[in-house]
Amino acid sequence: MSSAGTGTTVSRTRQSETAAGHLGPKGRRRGPRRPPGLPWILPAFVFVVGLIYYCIGYTGYISTLNWDGVSPNPKHVGFANYTQAFHDPVFWDTIRHTVIFFIVTFTVQTALGFTFAALLHSKVKLPNLYKVIIFIPVVLAPATMAPIFRQIFSANGQFNAILSDIGLGSLAHPWLAQSSTALPVIMAITVWEWTGVTFILYFAAMTQIDKEILEAARIDGANGVKVLTRIVWPNVRGTTIALAMLSVIGALKTFDVPYLVSLGGPNYATEFLGTLIYRVSIPQAEVGYGAALSILLLILSLVGALAFGLRGTRRN
Amino acid sequence: MRKSPNAGRRRRVIPAISVLGFLVLLLTACAGGSSPGGSKGSATSANLTWWGWTPSVQVAQQYIKAFNRKYPDIHITYKMLTIAGYNAALRPALASTVGPDVFDVAPGGANGSVETYGPDAVDLTSAVQKALGSDWKSKLSPIGVSSMILNGKLVGLSVGAVYSGTVWINKNLFDQYHLTPPTTLEQWASDCATFKAHNVGCFVQGVGQTAFNEDTLQAISDNVKPGVWAKAIQGQVPWTDPTIVKALTIWKQMFTDGIMEKGALGVQQYPDANNDFLSGKYAMVMMGTWYMQNTTTAGMSAGISGAGVSSPKNFTAIPILFPDVAGTGTTGALYGDSDYGIAVNTKSSHQAAAVTFATWLGTSTAGQQQVADALDDIAALKGVQPNWPTISLVQSGAQQPVLSKLISGAVTSDEPRLATVSPDLQLAIGSATTTVASGSATPAQAAAALQAAAAKLPNHGAVG
Repeated sequence: MSSAGTGTTVSRTRQSETAAGHLGPKGRRRGPRRPPGLPWILPAFVFVVGLIYYCIGYTGYISTLNWDGVSPNPKHVGFANYTQAFHDPVFWDTIRHTVIFFIVTFTVQTALGFTFAALLHSKVKLPNLYKVIIFIPVVLAPATMAPIFRQIFSANGQFNAILSDIGLGSLAHPWLAQSSTALPVIMAITVWEWTGVTFILYFAAMTQIDKEILEAARIDGANGVKVLTRIVWPNVRGTTIALAMLSVIGALKTFDVPYLVSLGGPNYATEFLGTLIYRVSIPQAEVGYGAALSILLLILSLVGALAFGLRGTRRN
Repeated sequence: MRKSPNAGRRRRVIPAISVLGFLVLLLTACAGGSSPGGSKGSATSANLTWWGWTPSVQVAQQYIKAFNRKYPDIHITYKMLTIAGYNAALRPALASTVGPDVFDVAPGGANGSVETYGPDAVDLTSAVQKALGSDWKSKLSPIGVSSMILNGKLVGLSVGAVYSGTVWINKNLFDQYHLTPPTTLEQWASDCATFKAHNVGCFVQGVGQTAFNEDTLQAISDNVKPGVWAKAIQGQVPWTDPTIVKALTIWKQMFTDGIMEKGALGVQQYPDANNDFLSGKYAMVMMGTWYMQNTTTAGMSAGISGAGVSSPKNFTAIPILFPDVAGTGTTGALYGDSDYGIAVNTKSSHQAAAVTFATWLGTSTAGQQQVADALDDIAALKGVQPNWPTISLVQSGAQQPVLSKLISGAVTSDEPRLATVSPDLQLAIGSATTTVASGSATPAQAAAALQAAAAKLPNHGAVG
């Protein structure tokens, strides 16, 4: 039974190979020759493997070293750098900041971006002007904006001046100097900077919604709010999920705004994984530990992106 | 055409030989580099690149211009990098074969650390011996020699030194409000109250950029009891010593007494505090001898313009001793390090010319006079003083005597500033200052946390 079975399998395999015209007797090729694919994908393959996966692998290797980045004699320490990370309170602070940062910025950006997109799909005058105004912060480099924000939110800055002018002087604070208010300032700057992207994506997604569905809803008596919540919002779910995925990755990679505006301070109140990695790798020259943090960042990014990706796929 | 029977084998052998040859060349290239004393290439003709975070481009151009009067065929391109970005740029550059020919190094664990980049630098001992003779060490500032030696190798030639422990004042503002520079904590607070009453900022410090907090805390500690700070850095005295706790208490008092500006924790020393002082918004700032460059008419104008003032109006900046905040009467402590040294890259193919430049700037009277006259660093070559008649100060009568006294006092100091502090210890000291300032820790708690952090560091966080 068993030998007959095996013979049948072999026979079927040969039949299929012959039918496909790939292999003839003695393994020679026969029939029209399909061009080999490797040369075509080789440049992209080398680029991807060489520049990305090799670097990830090398970072993983460095993460097992006690190394300052230049010393010719790095010391192997196994997973000690990872253990150090899990025992480092600042690392857990960065995780906490990242979670808060993601929840707040994603929620506010989504609300603002969706609202702006819906408003600009209605009949408003000068829609292009509004689009430009909303999108301009996206193209401004954080490095040029950071000194301005430091000035605006300083103790004698314009934000406090505005509060005083409108009779809310009691709320004036040195916003960037207090641990309790520095992170909200960083989040506010990020929302200001990136709401333009959320808006553009929602605006584009809304143009894809079939107008007949919207008209049918209106004929059935749905008001503007119901149309937005029952028709538009479910139809742009894919965009929301994509934005959530991008926001998770963006939150984990946050570096420029907290580094340029508050240097991760005061007292690590605005420290994120990106700023921590930079601080330990460059000023403190603990390249091995920095690499371990980078690998942890990579894992968290992948987990975050996969979680939202799978959630989106399952719902679809 | 008939093929040779060996053609196939030859086809295989030739590429193999080529690959082998390439590998040999590669290994030779990798193994090459350092030649003793930096003898590669011509000593009088080359195109060099110089990387540094200091001096400013303007000052570097002055040095290069003066250097080219003697060596017209050595062309130097200076690339100034940011303080924060220097290590990040230099590390891969030195690992490659296209890095700079000469680069800045500095003692301590921070930027361009001698300890970190020493292995990439040519030993300059023979070059300096040739320039200054066998007793060369006696001709140079000791602080600039000892800190540039790593395992017996002279890694770089110190260009000059910087010292801290001074507060710089805007004399015009003090004159305008008929105030005298503070000498005690009480007077300091009183002066600040007067300035604030006139809507003028008093003392600005970028507490958010913690490395500069160390300067202020060291000044307070030296005022409480001289020498304890230096011993604590070496691990000879715990950070919980009453002197350090007292220093942290006074540091906190500077916030509660209204001496520190409101929101100091969110301010960075550069650019915020520097700009605030130079634009005339504040009357005082904690800066060191490197601030002498703002006493010249050109330096002050450039500084004010850089601070964002469209029509610069020069004012008289003067250094004063750190006030007697502890009431001990022990004032005037200055602590410093070599600001930076010039190192020659072991992989440079123009080592000889690079050594010519390094020795000219670090050991020749002409080069060191340029350094002294720039009022950026205090010259490393003993006996070289600024040539005051050629330097245009904003208010010479008020500034020159004070600057001369500052320079002569500084060169006698042997107390290190940052050179012996590792980046990890700097971070711990910075955390102590910010936690005390924000009120999240008492001085005693912050000192205990600092001691706990230092105890975990190799050599208690001391370098060298």
